[in-house]
Amino acid sequence: MATNSIKLLAPDVNRGLAELVAKRLGLKLTDTKLKRDPTGEVSFSIQESVRDQDIFIITQIDSGVVNDRVLELLVMINACKTASARRITSVLPNFPYARQDRKDKSRAPITAKLMADMLTTAGCDHVVTMDLHASQIQGFFDVPVDNLYAEPSVVRYIREHINFNEAIIISPDAGGAKRAAALADRLDLNFALIHKERARANEVSKMVLVGDVTDKICIIVDDMADTCGTLAKAAEVLLDNRAQSVIAIVTHGVLSGKAIQNINNSKLDSVVCTNTVPFEEKMKSCPKLAVIDVSAVLAESIRRLHNGESISYLFKHSPL
Amino acid sequence: MNNLMVFGGSSHPSLVNKICANLGIKPSQTKLGKFSNGETSISIGESVREKDVYVIQSGCGHVNDNFMELLILLNACKTASASRVTAVMPYFCYSRQPDIPYTAKGAPLISKPKDSYTFESSPGTPVSSVVTTQRPKSPAENAGSNLTVLENVRSPKLPVLEHPSPVKSLGNGELHKSPSQSRIPMVPERKENSSELGSLFNANNAGYKLWVAQAGTLIANLLTTAGADHVITMDLHDSQFQGFFDIPVDNLYCKPIAHNYIQYNIPEYKEAVIVSPDAGGAKRAASLADALEISFALIHKEKRSQLPKGPPDASLTSGGGATVSSKPLISNMSSLSLTSQEMKLSSSSSKYVQTTMLVGDVRNKTCIMVDDLVDTSYTITRAAKLLKDQGATKVYALITHGVFSGDALNRVAQSAIDKIIVTNTVPQEKTVKFLGKDRVHVLDVSSIFGESIRRIHNGESISMLFEHGW
Repeated sequence: MATNSIKLLAPDVNRGLAELVAKRLGLKLTDTKLKRDPTGEVSFSIQESVRDQDIFIITQIDSGVVNDRVLELLVMINACKTASARRITSVLPNFPYARQDRKDKSRAPITAKLMADMLTTAGCDHVVTMDLHASQIQGFFDVPVDNLYAEPSVVRYIREHINFNEAIIISPDAGGAKRAAALADRLDLNFALIHKERARANEVSKMVLVGDVTDKICIIVDDMADTCGTLAKAAEVLLDNRAQSVIAIVTHGVLSGKAIQNINNSKLDSVVCTNTVPFEEKMKSCPKLAVIDVSAVLAESIRRLHNGESISYLFKHSPL
Repeated sequence: MNNLMVFGGSSHPSLVNKICANLGIKPSQTKLGKFSNGETSISIGESVREKDVYVIQSGCGHVNDNFMELLILLNACKTASASRVTAVMPYFCYSRQPDIPYTAKGAPLISKPKDSYTFESSPGTPVSSVVTTQRPKSPAENAGSNLTVLENVRSPKLPVLEHPSPVKSLGNGELHKSPSQSRIPMVPERKENSSELGSLFNANNAGYKLWVAQAGTLIANLLTTAGADHVITMDLHDSQFQGFFDIPVDNLYCKPIAHNYIQYNIPEYKEAVIVSPDAGGAKRAASLADALEISFALIHKEKRSQLPKGPPDASLTSGGGATVSSKPLISNMSSLSLTSQEMKLSSSSSKYVQTTMLVGDVRNKTCIMVDDLVDTSYTITRAAKLLKDQGATKVYALITHGVFSGDALNRVAQSAIDKIIVTNTVPQEKTVKFLGKDRVHVLDVSSIFGESIRRIHNGESISMLFEHGW
């Protein structure tokens, strides 16, 4: 790969994933300066020329300061655009506002669409993301979106760490049934579903288990763990139905609010997240957390994108 | 007010209420909040179908959160079939992204880290003898107030340029250590990232490598993308900003209420002087001075390359460098009868001198500084000091947007500013509490915004609001 025409950029915070990706690609992150006002306005400068280069901006959006990260990303994209970059690809493993993807009540905003418009307006030519909450979000964009899957990495993790002959895949809600079923197919495992009636966002109500989990290791699979209230409740329901043990594997470990408390108090054996969201700090206060590294998938997709190769191989296989 | 709806963001609810009171309607129902992961959540409690919607959000507080909230509100109204959506931003955030600091020859200026010099870095005021005779004998008496620090400037008087004595550099060092320095703002670049950029230049030792994000167009495009059909704002930092938009932007002025305030609240305002604390705001200040028919002065900050190419230390050791560098300045200025204060940047790596010039006469006069924005307050506190130093009796500061970030309020409290007049485009409760009611006066702009919303809604002209006496 010609190193003189590709540049990897990352904001000054949450560089962990970006550095892993850069290491895999044998590249260095480009020198940038991001400066914040006391009020939070950002100004940004790049210390190298980006003219006619293929730019990849790797951003991890952590919980709590989403809007700051988004504005920083937009400013970075725009800076590259006005500095005559050839192509700007935004690598956004966890897409912000992905859950506000429809008008679920009157006059509700479709913020995911707004995010898509904003990224394109800032000058983004391509978006790489992972496990979108709803894959229809790809249609909100006028530019190509590559929605990568954490599934191959998750499959490998299950094969390596869990006695999966006794395991069963659980979807914690009806919406995630398809994702869980696909994973169960890949591993040739059984599949069960928990049906819940959600009263309000971030709140859990009544749960009903569909399927048999007696003496099984239950693997709850979801795309996002926020306050972990759902997961904790689901674990209780499963154990009440005579499950052997319960672990959860989620792609985006946002882990906001009382998540750590909820996990520590829950009957879950462990909660495994990919490193799309930075949560190293939280791992210190919660021994139940474990991590799946997806930097290889992202690095390989960047390599393939830059060289104009197909990405679809990565949908089924996880690179080492 | 048929079909008119006003929504308020969470940045400045009191202004929203005042504007609505002006329009005789109630702010429409919204629920603003955040999801636990920090994403903004809003819901609109009333139907907006075929309505004329105004969303008021000031660019203050936590800027990015508030800006995102505005975008989401605009978008929610737009997607809920509002007939027209107008963004009302009393203070427009991201409006003063700095230009890249270039010299006339095209190379970027070399700036320095903030903490390496202070306002008083240069002891004497090397001015021509003509100017010296104009100086008041004892400005401290005129100044009256607590300006003991100014002694630092006056005591080492070295008016004769040709003989900069070693005392100069000695005084320099002492001043750096002196505890009385604490009251004096570090000098500094007002444009926030120029010093940062400066260190970059130094680090690379090559002026050319610079790519700075200019957020102006981006912010404009984001608003348009979110669905804004119209933008109302006040005293934009650059009026060129309007050109970044593809939709109409109404830039209101607080000049009429400022005019009113000066006329009725400043005693003998006809004798006062309007001062612009930097050259960029000269036009704004001059137009106010014209409207009031009073005189006008200008403070000009200038960074220019030091002319001698010799080793930078030479000036400090031999005492010759400062003289040489100031010569061309003086030759320019004495003909124009300017008063100048020149600050030679003290660190040995210094490549240019910073000059602050006062153009105009303020001796024994009340000064009214006019500026659009106070953020760090370096500019106005330093300007106030210069004005008192030049014999001004009283210094007012008339500011449209008082953002006062960081420890700006502390700096203002200890500065030579006698009274600060600020509008409520940004919430000012904290300012009033901190500085006391005697030193702060808050001008209410809600009537201007209310009237402009009424007129825009009714399709009337708003140019009348630009003039005095409506």
